[in-house]
Amino acid sequence: MAGDERSPWRRDPWIAAVAVAVFAGVLMVLPVPEPADPPGGPLPETNFAVVDVTVFDGEEFRPHRDVRVEDGRIRAVGQRLRLPDDLPRVDGRGHTLLPGLIDAHTHTYGMVLNDSLRFGVTTVFDQFTQPSLAAMKRPARESLARTDEADLFSAGNLATAPGGHGTQFGVPVETLTSAEEAPAFVAARKEEGADWIKIVWEDGGTFGADIPTLDRETIAAVIEAAHAEEMLAVIHISTLEHGLAALEMGIDGLVHVWGDEVISEADAARFAEAGVFVIPTLSVRVAAAGESMGPELLEATEPEHVSPMQRQTLTGTFPRPVGTSEAAVESVRRLHAAGVRILAGTDAPNPGTGFGISMHGELRLLERAGLSPAEALEAATAHPPDAFGIEDRGRLARGRIADLLLVAGDLANDLSRSTAIAGVWKDGFPVEAAWVASYPKAPDLYLISDFTDGVEASFGLDWQETADSLRGGSSHATLSARDGALHVEGALVPGFVFLWAGAIWSPGEERLQPVDLTGRQVVRFRVRGDGGDYAVQLFGAAPQSTAPGSVPFTAPPEWTEVEIPLERFESANPGIIAGLSFVATGDPREFAFELDDVEIR
Amino acid sequence: MTVNTARHGLLWHLRIALLETRFQFLSSLRLPAFAVPTLLFPLFFYFFFAVLFQAGGPSLTGPTYMLATYGVFGVLAPSIFGFGVGLAQERDTGALLLKRTTPMPTAAYLFARVGTAAIFGAVVVLALFLLAGFAAGVELHRGQWFSLAGVVLAAALPFSAVGLAIGAWAKQQAAVAVVNLVFIAMSVLSGLWFPISMLPGFLQDFANVFPAYHLGQLALRTIDLDLGRPLWFHLALLAGQTGVCLAVAAAGFRRFSGR
Repeated sequence: MAGDERSPWRRDPWIAAVAVAVFAGVLMVLPVPEPADPPGGPLPETNFAVVDVTVFDGEEFRPHRDVRVEDGRIRAVGQRLRLPDDLPRVDGRGHTLLPGLIDAHTHTYGMVLNDSLRFGVTTVFDQFTQPSLAAMKRPARESLARTDEADLFSAGNLATAPGGHGTQFGVPVETLTSAEEAPAFVAARKEEGADWIKIVWEDGGTFGADIPTLDRETIAAVIEAAHAEEMLAVIHISTLEHGLAALEMGIDGLVHVWGDEVISEADAARFAEAGVFVIPTLSVRVAAAGESMGPELLEATEPEHVSPMQRQTLTGTFPRPVGTSEAAVESVRRLHAAGVRILAGTDAPNPGTGFGISMHGELRLLERAGLSPAEALEAATAHPPDAFGIEDRGRLARGRIADLLLVAGDLANDLSRSTAIAGVWKDGFPVEAAWVASYPKAPDLYLISDFTDGVEASFGLDWQETADSLRGGSSHATLSARDGALHVEGALVPGFVFLWAGAIWSPGEERLQPVDLTGRQVVRFRVRGDGGDYAVQLFGAAPQSTAPGSVPFTAPPEWTEVEIPLERFESANPGIIAGLSFVATGDPREFAFELDDVEIR
Repeated sequence: MTVNTARHGLLWHLRIALLETRFQFLSSLRLPAFAVPTLLFPLFFYFFFAVLFQAGGPSLTGPTYMLATYGVFGVLAPSIFGFGVGLAQERDTGALLLKRTTPMPTAAYLFARVGTAAIFGAVVVLALFLLAGFAAGVELHRGQWFSLAGVVLAAALPFSAVGLAIGAWAKQQAAVAVVNLVFIAMSVLSGLWFPISMLPGFLQDFANVFPAYHLGQLALRTIDLDLGRPLWFHLALLAGQTGVCLAVAAAGFRRFSGR
């Protein structure tokens, strides 16, 4: 048979080969998706798609999704979307795309909304800032125009007692003293444009101080007045006892978790039943306990992405440890297990936290408290707007604002990958990841003052008095320029936790405005005085929220030249200087010294 | 008559197997009752549900999903009918007995049956892919086109085992009914006609007993539309089910031989 020329055996292999070739040939010409660019190059804006990406939609992870953005909003989310051929697309394989994060507890000033945005925090819920700043930032959140700042919602002026917590920052604060004032106080906040009412209940007991605070009757009245105005009322507390009392008063949410003791499961269930949400701010809790996430977060981040202010506040420390993080973490675990809605918030820029970057630490801390990666991310995306009744954001879904965070890796399996930021979009526009210097450059002058022309300085502001009276203390100082020297006289008087008084110089056009003095090495000056102990203090990039670096000197009776290398101030950003002060510190006393030929070179 | 096949080489076996495949294929092709529905059913369904009904929709998930499941469905028909009905028919008409008197090894016969199913399957796959790619707008990465085709064609093997088990036991007339019942029930309950997620929960669990469910999931897996069960889960159950079918078939053949 094999010899038979007509045998199919001769032809079959050829037929089979041709058939296989045709089959493979068809597979080779079938349509393939339009090519997508891997993230890493320039990101597209306004109209684009991220394809084949794992989406976190605000509640759960959904693999292999396409997300289409059009004119600043999310137009479609789905598998295998039908996309126009010419639509720019980002290859999302191996990446997770989530709604822009929302930090539910910050205090806003200066450039911080850009710091937040660069780290994927596209909206912040501020729990106390100047109402004028909140008003200035308000239009941006209604707009889809290109911006380099996160959107701001804020409580504005907080409800606290005269001299109470919140009044110590040198910012004017409207206070109240009695329940009768509550309706008018709340109405004024509403008039100012406050998005909700934040109340402070803080007697300083947990950190060994005695601070004036609102009484229970007034707190209850403020909550009632807020509800009458259809506003949410949230409260700062430091103890479980105060938290439970606020719950009884009908509070809507807590902006901290207490650190003094662990809540019982029964009490946790009461919070759940009342529908009270909790913003634990574990970031500041661990920092207060001396276990800041700062070093870990700086380690996980490209140095050029971190602004000097972020570095400054992240590396800052509390004067002395307060509470333990274990009690706070365990309480969060129980609240979460009971079904209490947990919101991620950092309380930036407190020492040990940084705007934006600390949200990534808060995610890790919430995971430590027993939240799954999806639950921790829900606390940072969908929960805050749900809790505060804010639409439009916090979820990755059709019609929402295109505030997006793209991360390299699978967050469902490794939440710590959230710092591997591959892209941030705000209103559909890509955000520059690197921090861009925005500090004014100091002129090339080395001599600050020789005091021949009074208290004038060669650049920056004139010399001014500084004392703890700025923060509610009683110390004072007076300055006068005589005989080509600056005479500083005054007294340290008890009244504040730390006593200081003396002279301060700011290198910028505003008091304590950070200025770029990169390259300077030393502070040099001549001094004589009463023989007492003094200190030079150097304010860095975050002068409002972190303590200045301090180097002691003495003022002997004879003129003496002192030279201090700048590195001795241990600033996180040696080149960025907001102020230089020469002060008496320590125990109460009267003092007097003279200063001359102050140089920074 | 018996032939000592041991003296024949591999090439001889291959040649016999190919020849038998050729004849099986030609005889199946000449049987319109088999060829037409086998080829047209999946194409017809796909055209209606994936091309016409989904035209202009916002997402290509439907057409892409159905490409995988109707592909598996397209291979299911020739495999299960070829073995289930064809084998019963050949046995009851005596054709099988006749074949067993020839020197052709049993393996060549089985190879030819599976091969014929795979060829029919390949034709269906090709037509489906063309319909999906150029009419429904489905886009897959090049590797996905190939791996989907590979999984779908490989489905001929486990499906043939199911057909073999039926054909080995059922009489000719009964076989047509049994095969049709199994064919339709397994297709629907395995999610080949519409997504398994549209079935009630207990039926979704029940689907695990069908090889078609696991093959459907393996096919969907190549295009990231499966339910996310691990690969080994589907492979292990599929291997077990195929083993059971082969054992059932072997028992049936022993009964037939002993008669």
